[in-house]
Amino acid sequence: MKCTYKQVVFSLALATTPLAAFANADVEKLTADPKNWAMQAGDMYNQRYSKLKQVNDSNVNKLQVAWMFSTGVLRGHEGSPLVIGDMMYLHSPFPNKVFAMDLNTNKIVWKYEPKQDPAVIPQMCCDTVNRGLAYGEGKVILQQADSTLVALDAKTGKVVWSVKNGDPKLGAVNTNAPHIFKDKVITGISGGEWGVRGFVAAYNLKDGKMAWKGYSVGPDEEMLIDPNTTTTWADGKVTPVGADSSLKTWKEDQWKIGGGTTWGWYSYDKALNLMYYGTGNPSTWNPAQRPGDNKWSMTIFARDVDTGKAKWVYQMTPYDEWDFDGINEMILADINVKGKATKALVHFDRNGFGYTLDRTNGALLVAEKYDPKVNWATHVDMKSGRPQVVAKYSTAQNGPDVNTKGVCPAALGSKDQQPAAYSPDTKLFYVPTNHVCMDYEPFAVEYTAGQPYVGATLSMYPAPGSHGGMGNFIAWDAGAGKIVYSIPEKFSVWSGALATAGNLVFYGTLEGYIKAIRKSDGKELWKFKTPSGIIGNVFTYEHKGKQYVGVFSGIGGWAGIGMAAGLEKDTDGLGAVGGYRELNQYTDLGGSLTVFAIPGGN
Amino acid sequence: MHRVILAAALACASAAVVLAEDKAGTVKTELYTVVDGYKVDGNTMKGFRTWRAAACDRCHGANQEGLVGPSLIASLKVLTKDEFKTTVVEGRLEKGMVAFKTSQQVMDNLDNLYAYLKGRSDGAITRTKVEELKE
Ligand code: HEC
Repeated sequence: MKCTYKQVVFSLALATTPLAAFANADVEKLTADPKNWAMQAGDMYNQRYSKLKQVNDSNVNKLQVAWMFSTGVLRGHEGSPLVIGDMMYLHSPFPNKVFAMDLNTNKIVWKYEPKQDPAVIPQMCCDTVNRGLAYGEGKVILQQADSTLVALDAKTGKVVWSVKNGDPKLGAVNTNAPHIFKDKVITGISGGEWGVRGFVAAYNLKDGKMAWKGYSVGPDEEMLIDPNTTTTWADGKVTPVGADSSLKTWKEDQWKIGGGTTWGWYSYDKALNLMYYGTGNPSTWNPAQRPGDNKWSMTIFARDVDTGKAKWVYQMTPYDEWDFDGINEMILADINVKGKATKALVHFDRNGFGYTLDRTNGALLVAEKYDPKVNWATHVDMKSGRPQVVAKYSTAQNGPDVNTKGVCPAALGSKDQQPAAYSPDTKLFYVPTNHVCMDYEPFAVEYTAGQPYVGATLSMYPAPGSHGGMGNFIAWDAGAGKIVYSIPEKFSVWSGALATAGNLVFYGTLEGYIKAIRKSDGKELWKFKTPSGIIGNVFTYEHKGKQYVGVFSGIGGWAGIGMAAGLEKDTDGLGAVGGYRELNQYTDLGGSLTVFAIPGGN
Repeated sequence: MHRVILAAALACASAAVVLAEDKAGTVKTELYTVVDGYKVDGNTMKGFRTWRAAACDRCHGANQEGLVGPSLIASLKVLTKDEFKTTVVEGRLEKGMVAFKTSQQVMDNLDNLYAYLKGRSDGAITRTKVEELKE
């Protein structure tokens, strides 16, 4: 939900030295070996799938705790550790500690703790989370909260290079995981609630020098958009965006504080040399202050990794009126879409629609609700690609100082950053979702640099007229745009899913359970209660011939905030009160990693 | 969010001196005037506007009931006005409370903000969203 602001410094650098190929090759090699968990999503396609199957649907009930580790930090623990060979690299929320642990001895080989101005803590909208590290060519990359991007020597923890990516004094902070694609470290920015103007930047893995930077909104050159060759979906076809495609959709200079931040998970298709990510909400949350489509906030971007040039864009929620950030991950998969083999990009947007596009050119193929309760739009018009907004739920049409009630989903989205998994075995997607609706009252705000720039009051509650819970875990057919099965959950499922070749899918819950379900039909096979609520992502690796499954627990994040919001909710007594109030009966703060294995020889 | 539980347990220590409760539904103190629980004097109205613009609600809850920050309904029963002002101006950065000294609007409205929040804490202002009292 947030973003940042920085002066325009941009340089186009074409880096295609032979070295470039190596970095890519290194990470590629590491992720190809299922014993490692070498990227946050396990691979560059964001699939969160593991070929390991020692733990499978016939023995998962024997899974037990192998070991645990406390990070010594409270607050929300998102992301997951990385495993490269015998080493595990762990991160924590602010102050963003990094631990390198030898898996043979469970000994901490080195520890890194940056010095950061505590003033950044309150500049983070939704808890002091950090979504994890990247690894490549002997370097561990940390994206600190204060926006500093650091490369650490994986052997010693010594700083190899460090660059400043934004100005936290202006609300430009970071929560996202950095990603290594080719010879570049790609990172984004948070601060959409501070009027930060979003961008994605690429730094050379070798020396930290900026290679390119592409803004989400503003003049074409600064977005690295070419009016003639950058395309979008319009009028039922792939069409050049034309000149000033962003500027034309903003009132005056509002784009300068216009948001479109980039704090999600990115993916990369080597064959196309394109990276994919989404941009967040336009600033402010009061739509009356920014008439227009506010391009290219709420947009899927496909960019050339070498130059940053935008190949195509697709805006999911033009003129956002609900804080439906478009930052959720883009999952790349080769699937059948309506009977046709397709190089697809699948995206579960905050706005409640599951999108399937042709990732080669951005053609819109499927856009369907992945929660039947979604009500702010009737459907997405496949020709224009635009959602058909229902007047009653339009906070812009109702206007400032009017409370628009019963909008589904809530600003948290039908899904937030918690990443889904894809299984090539079943060709289905396994999606952790929120089942929450809201009342939204926008009001006028003035921009002050470095101050929050929100402009709406929200209250959130479980989707009315449903099972009373605030989440579902679903299996989704992205070719047809249909839910295959749906498991009701008491609270939002805010944990990243993991699919494995062992016919299993794992996910965590806010109460603190890690669960294993049978991939084929969703039957729950195993669960275990960890020390705190889970908003981290489940991961797996193999060490000395044994498969391990792990997850961070440590409640917090926006989900934690949302929960607490309901605790003393006095406004609507209906279904609202039950759900959230109960969370404190299950969990409290505390960050730790729990690692599971089946005891004995396998 | 664990703070909310704490806060709820704290409840009532002091309440503002009620100067007048002349006609049904009107509460008048040295800080604020409230009619029917939601119509307030001009300064208290400015306090509400400041509360909203500064987005205190993202940490203290839409109804001041507490989120990552404590319930101000409970806090203002024990905090003195000076303690309130110091906290808002200087913040408690390590603990996640913002320093508002760089926010002109907050600095100009410290007393009004206090009046509004104290009115909420005293129970005199019964709705989060208030309206300006028309004389
Ligand atoms: C980024 C989150 C955040 C924002 C925004 C925020 N606060 Fe706080 N506030 C906190 C936290 C966390 C604490 C508790 C600090 C501690 O543990 O001592 C706190 C404490 C306080 C306290 C002291 C409570 C006590 O019992 O000691 C007051 C008063 C207060 N805040 C008022 C405000 C006001 C007024 C605003 C808006 C102008 C505001 N806060 C905005 C997070 C925030």
